[in-house]
Amino acid sequence: MSQTIPVAGVKPVAQRGKQMFPLAKIIVFILLGILLVTQLYPLLWLLIYSLKNNEEILSGSFFSLPSKLMWSNYTDAIASGNYFKYLLNSLITTTSTMVLVLLLSSLVSFAISRFRWKYGQLVMVLFLIGMMIPMQATLLPLMLIFKEMKILNTLWSLILPYVAFQTPIAVFIMSGFMKSIPHEIEESAVVDGANVLRIFWSVIIPVSIPPMMTVCILTFINIWNEYILAATFISKEALKTLPFGVNSFVSQYSVNYGAIGAYLVLGALPVIVIYFLLADKITKGMVAGAVKG
Amino acid sequence: MNVLRVSKWTIAAFVLPCLIVYVGLVFIPVLVSMYSGLLDWNGIGTSKFVGLDNFKTLLFDDPVFWPSVRRTLMFAVFSMAEIPVALFVAILLNRFVKKPNFFVSAYFMPVILSVVIIGQLWKTIYNPAAMGGMLNQVLEQIGLSSWTHSWLTEPNIAMYSLYFVALWQYLGYHTLIQFTGIQNISADIYEAAKIDGAEGLKADWYITFPMNIPIFKISIVLAFIGSLQAFDMVMVMTAGGPAHATDVISTHMYNMSFLSMKYGYGSSIATFLVALCLLATVVINFIFNRLERKYT
Repeated sequence: MSQTIPVAGVKPVAQRGKQMFPLAKIIVFILLGILLVTQLYPLLWLLIYSLKNNEEILSGSFFSLPSKLMWSNYTDAIASGNYFKYLLNSLITTTSTMVLVLLLSSLVSFAISRFRWKYGQLVMVLFLIGMMIPMQATLLPLMLIFKEMKILNTLWSLILPYVAFQTPIAVFIMSGFMKSIPHEIEESAVVDGANVLRIFWSVIIPVSIPPMMTVCILTFINIWNEYILAATFISKEALKTLPFGVNSFVSQYSVNYGAIGAYLVLGALPVIVIYFLLADKITKGMVAGAVKG
Repeated sequence: MNVLRVSKWTIAAFVLPCLIVYVGLVFIPVLVSMYSGLLDWNGIGTSKFVGLDNFKTLLFDDPVFWPSVRRTLMFAVFSMAEIPVALFVAILLNRFVKKPNFFVSAYFMPVILSVVIIGQLWKTIYNPAAMGGMLNQVLEQIGLSSWTHSWLTEPNIAMYSLYFVALWQYLGYHTLIQFTGIQNISADIYEAAKIDGAEGLKADWYITFPMNIPIFKISIVLAFIGSLQAFDMVMVMTAGGPAHATDVISTHMYNMSFLSMKYGYGSSIATFLVALCLLATVVINFIFNRLERKYT
């Protein structure tokens, strides 16, 4: 009997891999390697580009390393564009959005998944429809509404719609999770005399940390990177968020190529750093966020 | 069965704050936009109710509109064509690589970057060689000078340059999604298939493909809806130019509303876009529900 007995916990895929020809394996690795280059080289190229001087950039040797690292590109970029100002604005906007999304959507999710009431399903459907609505279709009416409310050109004109557009997916993720919490938990809490707010705050929220993390990650990636709303509703230099700031800097500053590259690297840096720290959590969160419809 | 019996006021306290923000800033604007689509209005002066005139102009008299719809749909087709590639990569990763998470995370890197960074990076890459553009420099150095182009300003290739950037950015996303899907298929099933003599490609055909249909749907919805909404990348890279050669539905809407100040007309395009998104979601769900019933 040459048949292998499946060992619990060992994936058959791994076993199958061992039986393949080394040649096949080499070809596969070359293929995956090529993909690695196409996906990452442009980013690496940008980093190298940002450290070259203008002559080196224009001379046409795309793979050469800079003879001398031009850190001055970075100091130029920071000095002539309000990098830290933009960074702060992005930080304020993204954090406020995150806090509000978490607060509002956890309240609704709790009501949808734990209360006995007639319209829970209807509210859920309302949120599900919202996931299909393209943000740009609301640009114009939102601008008119915000003009009326006199909050155009303030960070509120970004935070409010960001919160509104992030809640559907947040409610979807959180109510899905909260539905799976056993009901015995709150039954015993009720017996112990806890009121609704107490159950919400001390029973449900503490166990719902994982989906809240997912919501945080999704909100961070979406809002930190958002460009169109920021470019439409904000015109004050002092209120620009990072993507908008980077874009206006790059479009205006067209002769110093190295500084442009440096600014793009600086623009990408916060997200890249966070990705290095939390890659696993971010990829998991983004998969959860993809589950629309 | 939900157990908590609470008063109406409690429900209201939990639901209303979020619902008001959400309805007020998503639903009402969409409804306002649908109504504005029926107006002749420049946003400042008095508006005139013109019924379906805007839609008539849009569908029959706008030389930019249908080409922009075609480009939007092409965008969707290209994005969806990428998914089988992603699935293939995911299968290879799952089968041959001991630590696949490294590759998956590396491929995923472009996804988390802002369109501004991605768009400006590729604008730089597409630059003429004399301005330091990588692509043209590569072509010149390998002796293909005749293949160099000004990738974003020649009307007949600019759009393809944009499609490519979107494909490049989202390959990692689809790979990640498919990879996660494959990992969730129970190992027992492959074991059982192996005993029945199905391994490698055969196992993929009979197990991975049908079991992964729900995950496939996620990717398709993401690619399709994402492409219909493709907007910011085009705005950053070309803003619809040269001469409308890269206009998609949403950039056309934006240019009409915010540059030409035709608020009513822009709103009618927005209405069309919303309708298209909802329709696409319904159709995709319908198709996949049938597929799932057939194969799982």
